[in-house]
Amino acid sequence: MNIQRIHAIFEKDIKDFMKNMMLLVLPALPLVIALLYALTSEGEAELPLPLLYLIVGMAFSGITSAMIMTMMAEENEKNTLRGLIQSPASFVDIIVGKSLVTGIITLISLVASLMIVGIEPFLEFRVILGLILLFLFFLLLGIGIGLFSKTVSATSAYLMPVMLLFGFTSMVGTFGFAEDSMAITITDTFPIMQAIKIHDSSSWMPMVVIAIWIIAAAIFTYVCFRNTMTDD
Amino acid sequence: MKSAMEVKELQKVFGKNIAIKHVDFNVKQGEIFGLLGPSGSGKTTMVKILTGELSKTAGDVNVLGMDSSKFKTSDFKSKVGILSDNSTLYKRLSVYDNLKLFCKLYKAPLHHIDDILHDVHLYEERFKTASDLSKGMAQRVLLAKALIHKPDLVFLDEPTSALDPGTMIHIHRALQKLNEVGTTIFLTTHNMEEATELCDRVAFLHKGELQELDSPAALRYKYSDHTFHVETVAGERMVIKNEPETADQVRQLIANRQVKAMHTDNPTLGQIFLKVTGKELV
Ligand SMILES: Nc1ncnc2c1ncn2[C@@H]1O[C@H](COP(=O)(O)OP(=O)(O)OP(=O)(O)O)[C@@H](O)[C@H]1O
Ligand SMILES: [Mg+2]
Repeated sequence: MNIQRIHAIFEKDIKDFMKNMMLLVLPALPLVIALLYALTSEGEAELPLPLLYLIVGMAFSGITSAMIMTMMAEENEKNTLRGLIQSPASFVDIIVGKSLVTGIITLISLVASLMIVGIEPFLEFRVILGLILLFLFFLLLGIGIGLFSKTVSATSAYLMPVMLLFGFTSMVGTFGFAEDSMAITITDTFPIMQAIKIHDSSSWMPMVVIAIWIIAAAIFTYVCFRNTMTDD
Repeated sequence: MKSAMEVKELQKVFGKNIAIKHVDFNVKQGEIFGLLGPSGSGKTTMVKILTGELSKTAGDVNVLGMDSSKFKTSDFKSKVGILSDNSTLYKRLSVYDNLKLFCKLYKAPLHHIDDILHDVHLYEERFKTASDLSKGMAQRVLLAKALIHKPDLVFLDEPTSALDPGTMIHIHRALQKLNEVGTTIFLTTHNMEEATELCDRVAFLHKGELQELDSPAALRYKYSDHTFHVETVAGERMVIKNEPETADQVRQLIANRQVKAMHTDNPTLGQIFLKVTGKELV
């Protein structure tokens, strides 16, 4: 890892982001949902957690995963990744530089959206730690997908299931499944559902479950990395 | 003279396809070395092996005193510059920002950007967005990118293919200037004039095998038919063999002021390539 090189990648990707219409609209998505909530739930007390976590899931899947996978896939598609790899920058430098850009944009959009609907429930150490873990999970998932999808257009096909499964998990309760159905039991272990659990228990179990998801995502990313790096 | 590159018994196999077959050559420090060959002859594969992008199947390669196990180190990467066959720029960024990224990645001083932009005659265009550049301009920016850190050795994979003659001359000037300060240049091309003009030595690659390796002049001499073409004042055309026995005949013609024009008919590198490989160099 080299700070100077990470900074160079960061600077390049921030400038590129500012000029990329396709990426610029992403941070607006959670904000739009937050504004809709604020307008429709006038005067009401605190919003229920599943609704708040829809905004969180929207930010992490629609910004974090989507941004990093698009950036990686574009470097792949336009053959610019080759230039970076030929340079003395390591693969970690490249990923960290891009992750910082993704992280900052996600943070700005998420904080702004939560301020609109009431950020109080999130101002707790364990909850913030949970959000950081969620970020890592969605980031790794995005990197992995970005590595194996060779074109930007291919990423959109993979992004849909990621958003529906992992981003909007908290909405599963509104589909009218029985409390003990398979769907509920399985989705209950998903990262977003575990993050909600952090709010109303003092157990560390949810963190452990999210950590397991992170490890799984890391393995997935590593496998994708191995496959792209050996082209003969 | 020291070698910048040593290749011994190099072989590269893709599945059942042998892309490089037992190739041997050395590149001297400070020379411009041209690897010539038609499409699919293995030029890009060779460059990729020499820069560590592909692994070799067998043989030894040593570049700048380092063996292939060192090709992934930042020490190696900071000493070589690469212009790949299908590299592109970040199209939303300016020319300047594209170069700035690589200047920083190579930890070169930022004034190199302006210096190199002058060398490739693009200083005026430095704030243009890369997507607005012509193909020739973009290729010059890519060349600038490969040279931004003043590497000891530069690999150029078809640097001028599909470019107009004007751009080609710009690129050749920049390469000659670079070579004057001692940079070793390894370039691949299927442009014969380019090779004749630029290269100190050329090697012919055909179906993964090296066929000839020498200076363009030596190759043209070797494959010439050793004849003089003479046109006399009287309008007569003669072809005279260049041998000791014919020397008197030539001397006589000149002494009698009968010669209007005289030239040797050395083949071009393209013709030599055709002769050696039986294949057109396109
Ligand atoms: N990654 C690869 N996997 C399998 N075969 C490959 C691979 N790369 C190259 N080859 C094969 O190796 C041979 C040489 O290809 P290479 O790209 O080196 O040719 P080239 O001389 O650079 O051609 P061109 O002038 O068209 O760029 C070809 O037969 C090609 O199909
Ligand atoms: Mg090629």
